[in-house]
Amino acid sequence: MEILKQRPSRHPWEVLTFALLLLLSSVTLLTTLGVILSLLGDVVEFFRRVPLREFLFAPEWTPLFANPRYGIAPLLAGTFLVTAIALLVAIPLGLSLAIYISEYLTPEKRSRILGILELFGGIPTVVFGYFALLFVTPLLQRVIPGLSLFNPLSAGLVMGFAILPYVSNVAADAMQSVPRAMREAAYALGARPYEVALKVVFPAAISGIIAAIILATSRAIGETMIVAIAAGQRPALTLDPRETIATMTSYIVQAATGDQPVGSTPYYALFAVGFTLFVLTLLLNILAQWIVERYRERYE
Amino acid sequence: MNRTHTPNAFGVDPWKARIDRVFARALVLPLLLALGLLALLLGDTLYRSFSVQVVRADEGPGRTYPFGLSAQEILRQDLLARGYTEEEVAFALEDPKERQVLFLQNRVELMWNTQDGPFRYVVTGVYDERVADFSLAEGLRRWNELKANLQEGERLVLNPWLDQTFLTRPPSRSPLTAGIGVAIWGTVWVLSLALLIAIPVGIGTAILLEEYLREGRLSRILEVNLRNLAGVPSIVYGLLGLALFVRSMGIGPTILAASMTLGLLGIPVIVVTAREALRAVPESLRLAAFALGATRRQVVFRVVVPAALPGMVTGVILSAARLIGEAAPLLLVGAAAYVPFLPSSPLSQYTVIPVQIYLWISQNQPEFARVAAAGILVMLLLLSVLYLLALYLRNRFRREW
Amino acid sequence: MSLEMLKDHETVRTESVSETEALVDVRHLNLWYGPKQALFNISVRFPKNKVTAIIGPSGCGKSTLLRSLNRMNDLVPGVRVEGEVRYEGVNIYDPRVDPVAVRRHIGMVFQKPNPFPKTIFENVAFGLRLMGVKGSELEDRVVEALKRAALWNEVQDRFKKESGLRLSGGQQQRLCIARAIAVEPPLLLMDEPTSALDPIATQAIEDLILELKERYTVVIVTHNMQQAARVSDRTLFMHLGVLVEEGPTDLLFTKPKHPYTEAYITGRFG
Repeated sequence: MEILKQRPSRHPWEVLTFALLLLLSSVTLLTTLGVILSLLGDVVEFFRRVPLREFLFAPEWTPLFANPRYGIAPLLAGTFLVTAIALLVAIPLGLSLAIYISEYLTPEKRSRILGILELFGGIPTVVFGYFALLFVTPLLQRVIPGLSLFNPLSAGLVMGFAILPYVSNVAADAMQSVPRAMREAAYALGARPYEVALKVVFPAAISGIIAAIILATSRAIGETMIVAIAAGQRPALTLDPRETIATMTSYIVQAATGDQPVGSTPYYALFAVGFTLFVLTLLLNILAQWIVERYRERYE
Repeated sequence: MNRTHTPNAFGVDPWKARIDRVFARALVLPLLLALGLLALLLGDTLYRSFSVQVVRADEGPGRTYPFGLSAQEILRQDLLARGYTEEEVAFALEDPKERQVLFLQNRVELMWNTQDGPFRYVVTGVYDERVADFSLAEGLRRWNELKANLQEGERLVLNPWLDQTFLTRPPSRSPLTAGIGVAIWGTVWVLSLALLIAIPVGIGTAILLEEYLREGRLSRILEVNLRNLAGVPSIVYGLLGLALFVRSMGIGPTILAASMTLGLLGIPVIVVTAREALRAVPESLRLAAFALGATRRQVVFRVVVPAALPGMVTGVILSAARLIGEAAPLLLVGAAAYVPFLPSSPLSQYTVIPVQIYLWISQNQPEFARVAAAGILVMLLLLSVLYLLALYLRNRFRREW
Repeated sequence: MSLEMLKDHETVRTESVSETEALVDVRHLNLWYGPKQALFNISVRFPKNKVTAIIGPSGCGKSTLLRSLNRMNDLVPGVRVEGEVRYEGVNIYDPRVDPVAVRRHIGMVFQKPNPFPKTIFENVAFGLRLMGVKGSELEDRVVEALKRAALWNEVQDRFKKESGLRLSGGQQQRLCIARAIAVEPPLLLMDEPTSALDPIATQAIEDLILELKERYTVVIVTHNMQQAARVSDRTLFMHLGVLVEEGPTDLLFTKPKHPYTEAYITGRFG
């Protein structure tokens, strides 16, 4: 009978389409491969020239000196400093916003506010960098004596606002997925909205909130333009937020826009720093994912 | 403090009620701060994009020209005033090559106010020197005083740094003649080619994950991989681009390398938005199509994708907006060069808007900060248009399934 | 009647359908969703050009049985089928058979109307286009289908431009019917086609079904016994995945043979 003879599913178009889609998707896998390989090659070369001990423990990063030292500590310190300041801004503000969005808003207002925040997140970081250097720094210089033109404080403060949407939106999402039943139980017991928010929803969503913070940290660490413009590109091992420093990212910018001959050690140093950055953010992202997975069963 | 929690008749604790109100108000604070920052940012940028300047012309008197004349005519008169002969001027303006060079070296722009009155044109040469630069408030306040003190060859102007010539001119060593035209073209080139990569890969991956491989080993691997890629700092993509495209593949610091780098960067975002769009298509439509005897390919491409198209287009527009603002990875892939000419092929050198802004900010001269402000306004305007377009599309095609 | 007893149940049949009268011949059909068995040893024949209704309490497997007739269950991951479903002489579960080919010969209408977000014309044309029909023949057949689905009069002035989603619920369902019959499938499956519609629309569809049986064989799943009584020639009563009883509709409803059938019909459960 006809049915036996027809095979539309086997038609070449079907197979071709599937194959094409597979091919296109493989690009994403290749990208990861590419990132790792391209970094790895030059990183290995770097460590052939500079001992790991020095990289990890030397207190100076001076690739262009006559007697170059390649200690990543100053860059890490700079990154840490700016990130810490940014988180000091983003976490309280972001979490308050998240509670507000998830507990105090009607669905329509919620999507509008979330939209505004996404818009905020869509502002190119160059613009934030500009703002930090040309508006915030002069302002702060009037109040804080000894504040350099390029300093991690301005950069950190502005960056805090730049990563605010990441904290608020992800945390709000986590809080929203707390089942309504839990809230209603609390309300039925006579709790006020703020008590429900702080004592019931917040702890229930804690894993998602922590994940949000970790993700925001990862973003802050990887942020480039704000620090390249406003925090400085001069490595210094210090925790004083008024001094000019360099972060891993601002150093990469500085080194790449200068002209490093290929094959020179400073050129490979670029990739060593980049690799460190990559590994650091990757670990944080994996940690955040793991936390969400592991503690997902909490209230289900 | 004697805090007695005595509930009133309805069992409502007045103290707690008060805390509740304060709490609710306090929670709005971050939003207000963020909006305030935004307002300050826009205000500062806008304000900085105007200045009152005293400029000394390198050649000839500091003349101004009335509104209504063509740029060519104005330049002609200015060249004459500088001492060139009629023949020389005529020759220079007739020959297209010469004319191009002249316009590169001289900027004809409209000033909102000058020593000769409002809305007049001036010709700024590359070697003209800025004698004094004042903020809007101060400059306007001291206008008459400055006008009275003008020297020979100097002119007094209220300069809007963001004007039509700014949009078309190439960058220049002198802030007075700098423009963002080249960067705009660079952005257009790089973005178009980048989307050419990111859209097929992004949408293809989304379709694969949502329609063909909803579960299984491969889909999990792809998803984990995508999530990690999304979290990789954009500058690392720049390093990838540098090592692989610029050096290994020998493409060099060109538009091609930049598009490939940016394209890869844009993939995760497009995948997410496309998947959302596909997921929004109700399963019942797929079932109806299958019941009619459609193969999976036919179901996907004749029913699902057309239905999800508006959502996907919106997603692409939003991704494009994100990509336009990316500076870090492109700095590494060659956009940092001083590029005063329009790109002519994918193998040209280039610069893009955010990088150009960065380069201007990094310059020492204070006017470059103004130029940067003008550039930022252009970029924000461009992004606003894109966001509004996306919003319009989202509302227009909002379906009631 | 416990589940244990059900497994060995012999369907009670009245005036069974002969092989020559049957369009679809189900033989010992068993179906599992993963580890859970949903259909137990179902054997039944569906007669040509008649309307057969499948009734039973929710979860009894009537939709599952219906979907087994056009291999729509194949789309559910983890599904396993044993037994045969013979359609026009061929076992559609034969490993050599492509389910997509099967579905092109069988039409299906769902509970909630699900027209494509396309024009009315494109909706009806969809199945025809899959078969490669084009041009004027395409248009003629679309119009024909709309007429047979009793929708033509209402949409003839706008069917090319107007989106199918702009129609009322009842009209949308008729559009889905038109879409399904456009390709002239010998068999039309309907899964609770009126449960999402208002009484007037329901009436229109029921009238339509009575007309349709002249050209098509209809199998309809319904949870509304009165509907089954109104439109069908034959009725199947299912419970917990087992076909309890089947027979001519009027006999099944007036003189049910199995106690469970009687209990369901009189409303004592379900």
